[in-house]
Amino acid sequence: MTTKINIGPIHPSTHGVLRLVVELDGDTIVGVEPHIGFLHRGVEKLAENRMYMQNIGYMEKIDYVAPMAYDDAYVAAVEEAMGVEVKERAKYIRTILLELQRIASHLLWLGTMANDLGQFYTLFMWTFRDRDKILRLLQEHAGARMFYLNMRPGGVVRDLPPDFEENTLQVLDYIEKRITEYEHYLESNQVFIERTKGIGVLSREMAIELGATGPVLRGSGVNYDTRSNKPYYAYSELGFRPQVMFAGDSFARYKVRMLEMKESIRMVREAFKKIPEGDAVGMPVRLIMPQAKNKIVTVNRETPRGEAFIYMIADKERPYRLSIRTPSFINLSLINEIAKGSRLADLFAILGSLDLVMADVDL
Amino acid sequence: MHRDDFLAQEEISAKDFEDAEQEMTALVEKSLQKYNLKPNMLFAKLSDITASAAKGIVNWSRKNSVWPSLFGLACCAMELMDFGSARIDAERRGYLLFRATPRQSDVMIVAGWVTKSMVPEVKRMYEQMLKPRYVVAYGECAVSGGPWFESYNIIKGIDQVLPVDVYVAGCPPKPENLFSALMKLQKKIGGSIED
Amino acid sequence: MKIERGKLIETLKELKGKGYKYLVKIAGVDNINSISVLYFVRDIDNNKEEVVEVELDPNDTALPSVEEVYKAADWYERTLYEMFGIEIKGRQIRRLLLEKWNGKGAPLRKNFEWGAPYETKQSKKAVA
Repeated sequence: MTTKINIGPIHPSTHGVLRLVVELDGDTIVGVEPHIGFLHRGVEKLAENRMYMQNIGYMEKIDYVAPMAYDDAYVAAVEEAMGVEVKERAKYIRTILLELQRIASHLLWLGTMANDLGQFYTLFMWTFRDRDKILRLLQEHAGARMFYLNMRPGGVVRDLPPDFEENTLQVLDYIEKRITEYEHYLESNQVFIERTKGIGVLSREMAIELGATGPVLRGSGVNYDTRSNKPYYAYSELGFRPQVMFAGDSFARYKVRMLEMKESIRMVREAFKKIPEGDAVGMPVRLIMPQAKNKIVTVNRETPRGEAFIYMIADKERPYRLSIRTPSFINLSLINEIAKGSRLADLFAILGSLDLVMADVDL
Repeated sequence: MHRDDFLAQEEISAKDFEDAEQEMTALVEKSLQKYNLKPNMLFAKLSDITASAAKGIVNWSRKNSVWPSLFGLACCAMELMDFGSARIDAERRGYLLFRATPRQSDVMIVAGWVTKSMVPEVKRMYEQMLKPRYVVAYGECAVSGGPWFESYNIIKGIDQVLPVDVYVAGCPPKPENLFSALMKLQKKIGGSIED
Repeated sequence: MKIERGKLIETLKELKGKGYKYLVKIAGVDNINSISVLYFVRDIDNNKEEVVEVELDPNDTALPSVEEVYKAADWYERTLYEMFGIEIKGRQIRRLLLEKWNGKGAPLRKNFEWGAPYETKQSKKAVA
């Protein structure tokens, strides 16, 4: 005899609008069925009506925690369609900004996951304050806190301000100290360890079979990262190494993201030493040529949640078809496999370790 | 240009205060009649004083402790969480506990775009709130549909469905904007008695 | 590579045997006189990718389900069904993103009617 309960779209955890219909046998979960579509707005259809550069506003709102990643993926697709090369200095600038965005996104994930697991509300406040410092840095360059619109085909919209390097290195020193403090704070806490170790195990074969991406895939022992398998911008010159853990449970996925934050800090520091001089400004918006040279374009990028894949068919002035695969969509479909056999109280711990953004799911 | 020029605001006129005062005196007289008391000079003065003092205290307590309910749907929820955290502290003006249940909150800050499948849930949340209740439309998607204006699945602004008190424009509006908008809402609460 | 829909499951099983075990996306494209469905598969250990394309007639869309070969295809096929109107045979398909959709037609086709995109309550009052 199993009962079905409904965890409705509005619930106290900060994950967003998601309805889960959970089938329970006592306290053990037998099946989970997610119902999505509460944030679906049809980006793929709306993008066919706008010209290339007008579409960037839609792309940023897909993942609102790390908007620069989709900004960059779409502009890279437009560049490939037009046959434009990225300038040398702009490659390093884009790498620096993307890695800063990755640190900010992982800090927000840490705050909300700790909040769900036992009301570590202090950690939530601390990580938001640290994330605010990074957003201020990006605001100095781009002009806005959340939706930057600073990528252009061939480079970025303007060069870095003159004191960007000093400020960034100060902020990174501060954040490195704080990350070690947060790790110590969480890993010496018995509540956190018991709620994440051994919970939500995903084996290596099932991860590849079901299509997991990002830290979910790397937490199960698969060594695949778009930044090292299909390198773009300056990642191969900065010596990037993917971080892999082999246990497959929530603790492994948490640890992968903490190690990724440290790797990002190291890469930003090295990028500032190796950055070349020159011009980094891309084509201004009014000069975008309306004809596309290559008609069919594919782009792979690594967002903080996983791998984003764009397939674009380019028409004269607007894209004919823009098809986007977002990582949260396919990571959410794993919940049925992962959560079988665990208890009801572990469900939100598992959802926290998958790092979902609901606007990413309902594309 | 001042930032007040950018915020949509409703005019709080002197007529609102006068109407409220007349209603309160009518209520007090009705309750006095129940106890069969005839207002003579001294008693009338006392009832006036207590009526205005009571009105003042009630309004002051209501406007200084407005508890919002967590209704962040999309990108504007990130700025809402920032509004409640350490840099721009919401607690210092009384917006204390962000509750997930609507039954213990006063203000519903709608942050993010609302789709057609979400409309029954929004209405249910609004009906579960206790009066006096207020609605703030935060961000352009809640004001008018925002960038998704032509989409097939989106409600063009939350005022197609609910009565809105304060509109805040921006994409996303900075948390300081929300602060100033909530201070205007406090002025509106302080002046009226019924919702 | 372009194949017919009768040979779809065979080709995918062959590719899976060669090591292409990871399904990246199933995308649909509406060319105006046909609909094509693309399967992107990837070999994780050797870092290679392949694309399989199937062309369908818009009035006779019936595809076999690929879930027995790649388990990740479940949710992608559900979105194909509701966005393009492609029927998928072999298992029960339910809608994913537009569950209570009472409009007409499939949204991502080129002959989709938008309805009245610029109409609001206030605009109706202004007109009347």
